[in-house]
Amino acid sequence: MTLEASRWALAGGFVLLTASLPLRRRLGLPRPVAIYLPYLWTFFLVFALMTLGAVTLGIWTLAVLCFLALREFFTLTDLRFGDRWGVLAAYAAIPFTFYFMQTDWYGMFIIAIPVYAFLVIPFVIALGGEEPRGAVFSVGVIVLGLMLMVYCVAHIGYLARYAPWMAAYVVLAVAVCDLLAFVLRARDRPALQSALLQLLAPAPLTLGLALALMPWTGIPWVPSVVLALLIPLLVAIGCHTIDYLEADFGIERDRLSPGRGEILNALKSFVYAGPVAFHYLRYTLDAF
Amino acid sequence: MRSDDGVDAGHAARRPAGAGSRRIQLLLHLLVLRPLMKLVFGAGTEGRGRLRELDQFILVANHNSHLDLPLLFQLLPRDRIPDTHPLAAYEYFARSRPLFRIVERLFRPVWLARPGAEAAGTGVLGPAGSTAADVTVEAAMAAMERHLRAGASVVIFPEGTRGEPGRIGRFKRGVGRLAAAFPDVPVVPVLLSGPERALPKTAGVPLPLWTRAVVGEPVWPVRGTRPEPSDELAGRIAAGLERAVRGLAEHERARRQRRYAPRRPGPSVAVLGIDGSGKSTLSHALAGRLSEAGRVAVVSDELAFFDRGERSLLRPPLTEKLRRALSRRVKRAKSLKSYKVPKMLELLLRDRATRQVRRWYRPRAMVLDGCPALNMTAWARLYRDGVEDEACAAILRAVTGTGSSPARDDPLFQRFPELKHLVRLRLTPLERPDVVLFLDVPPPVAVDRIGSRGEARQVHETEEKLVRLRDGYLSVCRALESMGVPARVLDGDRSRAAITTEAVRTVRATLGDRLGALGDRPGAFGGAGPPADAHEDARV
Repeated sequence: MTLEASRWALAGGFVLLTASLPLRRRLGLPRPVAIYLPYLWTFFLVFALMTLGAVTLGIWTLAVLCFLALREFFTLTDLRFGDRWGVLAAYAAIPFTFYFMQTDWYGMFIIAIPVYAFLVIPFVIALGGEEPRGAVFSVGVIVLGLMLMVYCVAHIGYLARYAPWMAAYVVLAVAVCDLLAFVLRARDRPALQSALLQLLAPAPLTLGLALALMPWTGIPWVPSVVLALLIPLLVAIGCHTIDYLEADFGIERDRLSPGRGEILNALKSFVYAGPVAFHYLRYTLDAF
Repeated sequence: MRSDDGVDAGHAARRPAGAGSRRIQLLLHLLVLRPLMKLVFGAGTEGRGRLRELDQFILVANHNSHLDLPLLFQLLPRDRIPDTHPLAAYEYFARSRPLFRIVERLFRPVWLARPGAEAAGTGVLGPAGSTAADVTVEAAMAAMERHLRAGASVVIFPEGTRGEPGRIGRFKRGVGRLAAAFPDVPVVPVLLSGPERALPKTAGVPLPLWTRAVVGEPVWPVRGTRPEPSDELAGRIAAGLERAVRGLAEHERARRQRRYAPRRPGPSVAVLGIDGSGKSTLSHALAGRLSEAGRVAVVSDELAFFDRGERSLLRPPLTEKLRRALSRRVKRAKSLKSYKVPKMLELLLRDRATRQVRRWYRPRAMVLDGCPALNMTAWARLYRDGVEDEACAAILRAVTGTGSSPARDDPLFQRFPELKHLVRLRLTPLERPDVVLFLDVPPPVAVDRIGSRGEARQVHETEEKLVRLRDGYLSVCRALESMGVPARVLDGDRSRAAITTEAVRTVRATLGDRLGALGDRPGAFGGAGPPADAHEDARV
């Protein structure tokens, strides 16, 4: 497939997804699916922009999504007044990280948050905080939010920077797993059976998707198969973990809205799948 | 009535907006304020449709932050933006001319100088033709009524001030009076949640966090009736609206993680008195008696802990070591002039040491032998003639950071330039104790006691100066009482035991539950702290 055709295919897919957005209410889609679509659309907007050459714009669009997600994470968290500068430092870590993505400085991108941001945030809190009680918890929460909502999601952007189709495949595979998990969970099944189904049922679909998109993604056979099996596992792990955290956040599934857990809920499957898929591909393909 | 170099205050409400001005206001809202609020603070809304169905309304909302007004304006239908006028605190915004102009341009508010704040406000503005009478409560109410009669809408924060973050305060009667005067105009309760975290009163920098405005059902408190206006009716309407906003808060209670109830620090008791009054002796005796429930720290010339009556010394932090070095210098001062600066520094270091003792040792209560904030205030009387109770209270508020901070060119700063430097260098607020005991000893008796010590007298230890200092402390006590801090005067010309017994009884009576709860904590460094705040229910 030529580069030109590949671009048009991705842009066409994006247009289709865009068309579905205003229709999602009329189509009577279940609410968890309906609120999921705008975030899927944002990912594909990023990929479409990158495919059409507007790489910088695509990267910073993803940065805005990370900002919104992080803002929601902090809104849900019981932070202390003394944590304000730490939270601001966490927000500042977004442009810091995405700048390195923009300049394709992989070495700095990969350490910007785990080394610099994680060291700076406790320092800033200690610098300004009078009352130390709860500081350990606060640092943990801020660092976790930054890790999940920025660092993990940014990996998808870096993958797209290298090969938008690979990132599109990862996002599509995650979306398939999520939709299937919703369908399976909607039926009342025993926990073990549900977990097994969640792991096994999407595998044929992700595998089929990998094979169907192979001409665009350029991922060889073996990594395609491994990834198709790995993604459902990562999605299950991500969902289970974030579901657990959601309970502590006090997020209510029937009251999801932006700022009240909607973004965290929509991105929960990507936070594990994104970075692991990225590093697997980077290691296996040895190309970027 | 308007000068080019001044800010026109009360006249803004009377001046009809030109078409150009309305268009600019609308464009600023639609192109700048709304997108900015949406991007940075989420600015979610619920129930906007209820406002679209109304031609005119009185919006009432809880108030915790400067973001409240921009968030509230997110709710308005586009065509209502230029015709909606909030009631805004004149003395606060008039402190900065650019800020005043921005608020004036964006919201076209009715300005109101809150009672007790006129002096600061008018001192700042001083435009030709504008007087304090333009921003009084009566003038502001008249302006609001004019707007309502003209078919415009108004926005009121009936709590009157931003209050404590996340808590809904008592609604004042003004909104009730307005609603009673316009029975056909609906009053719409609105709950604002999020701004109290994004930009609370004490924060200078806003934090991007989600904010949300929920519109309640419109109410017509006296529709169809022509009631006689009265304070009682206004109070009833205001209370009804407060219940409506609280109802929204209950329904809309932010679903977010609650880590634990915030721990209240152990209470602090300050013992004041002129030199030679025996306040150090009383501080130690008081700490010893209070320590039956747990460890009580004494911040005096030495830092000590009392645990079940047993006294032990604390390892002094660096600031305390510096303070002691400075204190030796202070005691050698030859004149009041050379005494002033080192003494002020010493007091600042003592305040710092007090905080450090609280931070690192977590005492269950603290007894302060003197209190830097109160000492500084009382000493103002020693250095300046004619410091009345009112000025004393203003200094105390500025030093302890109570209420709204005074304007940069507040007349208070002209009288006390030292205070200006303290505020500008961000050395305030200083600690405000929970209870104050003033050990009142006649100055001649105090001078005799000082003489019997056999030590060199300090520069202010004369009868004449101690009389002035005593007046200063009494004035501080009155100011504290007006701020809601219990300040009791104890007769110091009695036996030590009698004074101590009365002091203990007074502290127990005033602190009550706070002292009682101390005994329940398992250890000085551990424990889950007291149970959840009793007012937690009122949190948004």
